[in-house]
Amino acid sequence: MRRMMAACSTVLLAALSAACATSGQTQTQQANQNANAPVTLSFWSTGGDDETATFQKAADLYKQKHPNVTVKVQTLSWSDAYAKLLAAATSRNGPDIISGGMTWTIQFGARGAMVDLRKHGLESLKAQALPAQWESAISPDGSVYGVPLDMSTLALYYRTDLLEQAKVEPPKTWEELTATIGKLKAAGVKKPYGQDWGNLDWIGYFNYLYQAGGSFYTADCKPSLNTPQAEQALKYWVDLYREHGAPTATVEGADALDTGTAMVVAGNWIAKGIDINKPKLKGKWAMTTIPAGPAGPTAFIGGRAIGVTSFSKYVQTSTDFVKFMYSDEAITAIADEAKKRNISYIPPRPDKIVNGSVFTPEQAQVFEASIKTGKAAPGCPGWDESAPDVTKQLQSAILGKADIKTALAEAAKVMERNAG
Amino acid sequence: MASPIPLRGRLRRYGTSYAMLLPFLALFAGFLLWPLANSLYLSFTTFDGINPAVFTGVDNFVQLASDTRFRHALGNTALYVVGSVVLGTLLSLGLALAFNGTSWPHRIMRTLFFLPSVTSSIALMLMWKWVLYPSDVGLANTIVDWFGGSAVAWLATPGLTIPILVLMSVWGGMGYGMVLYVAGLGSIPQEYYEAAKIDGASTWRQFRHITLPLLRPVTTYVVVTGLIGAFQVFEAVYIVFSQGANTIGGVLDSGLMIVPYLYDQGFTHFRLGYASAIAWVLFLVIFVLSLINLRVGRAMKEL
Repeated sequence: MRRMMAACSTVLLAALSAACATSGQTQTQQANQNANAPVTLSFWSTGGDDETATFQKAADLYKQKHPNVTVKVQTLSWSDAYAKLLAAATSRNGPDIISGGMTWTIQFGARGAMVDLRKHGLESLKAQALPAQWESAISPDGSVYGVPLDMSTLALYYRTDLLEQAKVEPPKTWEELTATIGKLKAAGVKKPYGQDWGNLDWIGYFNYLYQAGGSFYTADCKPSLNTPQAEQALKYWVDLYREHGAPTATVEGADALDTGTAMVVAGNWIAKGIDINKPKLKGKWAMTTIPAGPAGPTAFIGGRAIGVTSFSKYVQTSTDFVKFMYSDEAITAIADEAKKRNISYIPPRPDKIVNGSVFTPEQAQVFEASIKTGKAAPGCPGWDESAPDVTKQLQSAILGKADIKTALAEAAKVMERNAG
Repeated sequence: MASPIPLRGRLRRYGTSYAMLLPFLALFAGFLLWPLANSLYLSFTTFDGINPAVFTGVDNFVQLASDTRFRHALGNTALYVVGSVVLGTLLSLGLALAFNGTSWPHRIMRTLFFLPSVTSSIALMLMWKWVLYPSDVGLANTIVDWFGGSAVAWLATPGLTIPILVLMSVWGGMGYGMVLYVAGLGSIPQEYYEAAKIDGASTWRQFRHITLPLLRPVTTYVVVTGLIGAFQVFEAVYIVFSQGANTIGGVLDSGLMIVPYLYDQGFTHFRLGYASAIAWVLFLVIFVLSLINLRVGRAMKEL
């Protein structure tokens, strides 16, 4: 009996001491920063497996140049990436390099989980990046916890056969857009217009706001939704739903075109898949930049940021790899693999949008035009906390629960409160 | 009165059993009690998941009291709980009464209704997402189209959100309740019904005065487990209604429930202390409601 109890206690103690030993080992393990020692970097890439494979090509190329460095790229799905990254940051044990939404590295960096890349000379990449996107990757205090990894933007996809049926050209301005919707309806097209990316969301409003000459914040980060431009933009956007029948329900862009929507605003990532996933649309669709407002054609620019974790044992090597991702050869390797896999990839360097593109020259030119005049998400303090409430206020206006002025005033109040 | 066995004697007698229980106890303490105690402590801090927790007393709970989104989530959850528990229990009982026989058609029907309970909830929610997909591709709108109606924005009409969530919950959960009720019905002695028939009791009176009272323990179990499950609804909101990080509760937060809000605060806004406070408020709500339910059940038994 005693022997059995002793055995049980020994097993438990052994298990506990093993656990403690493992944890202690992790904390005290020191990085071997010897230049020639073999190094394995872990890169958690938010997105799909195909995207992971494209970044792995760049990683393989890096290994050719640095034989002692192996970069393993792993996929994190968009739905649970944030929680997994948070778990890694909490335990201070996880990837050396991460990629995710543009503001993610700022959020993690503000809490000490990311390396300020300025200290490792990566501010030099600013000259190569798109200024608007670079700004959105920078923390309000100027720290660079992440740099753009790729870009995404919007385009107006349209059914050439339906526009021909209504004898209209793709719209270039707000006025032309509403006129085209009217003509399409008159020609018997039941679904003249829809929005995929940004539907009922602040991203959708973003385009109209900047196209009307407004902005979410002033240059010194003061909330600026109480302006005539913001009102004009919201009125136009609300009218698209309430007067012109844009659906409140979000249908994926390619599905929308396939089920008879004549024009749809959607992200660049659908362009590569339409002909493959919807073969009956082949030759019946085209794309152009989204219609311009009174102040210009500004479109939203999104994308992913890439950064190095503060708990990485190989910070210097990791930052060097991040820098490598901006090189001509890395961008070419990624683009070549993306072409093979038929996925969209817009490099973070504007000079490579057409040349290093996976799209047809015509499509690449549309995205290039969109990006050149585009703006990225506000990088002001409190924006991330405010975004859900701003979206709710915009939805209130669209669904007729609040008038435009009240909705904007309420959104501005939230932004003021969160701006601190 | 027998004197209690002294500790040494008890140890000698049950020592082996205690030793056998130790591994489980260690796991139970390590993976349940310790995290629970930790979460209680964190609810009094501003823990962001990365930096050390800072003790702030009851600040999180005070803030919760004035948090309009939390109150909205609480209201939505209450509506959802009432709808799904009441409808789910009634339909479970109805199905059990309809299919409690041993014939093959009854067995097949029971299996069919029970199937959602053994299917992955993620798969079920993805199926619902496809059913409610807004274009003509979605099954619901295809059916609407057959009858000449125009497409409905199922996932973007705030007034439809809670009814759809209740429908999904009832559809997925009534088979499980049905199986419990079938077992309960099987345990009622047939003699009671025979005696009632001899006394001239109608079918309704037999149901009202024999079936329902004797099913009370099953009903209590179905209601309490239903309550707990409904308060913790997550996948349905997160998978079917959320449209990106900014709209976790669907359009106008019409589907915002307590657990998705907790997840949103903890895992997308780095407010793990605040999220822990939400979790403990949720625990208290469920605990009090379950207690009331058990007390009401006991009081009714004594009537």
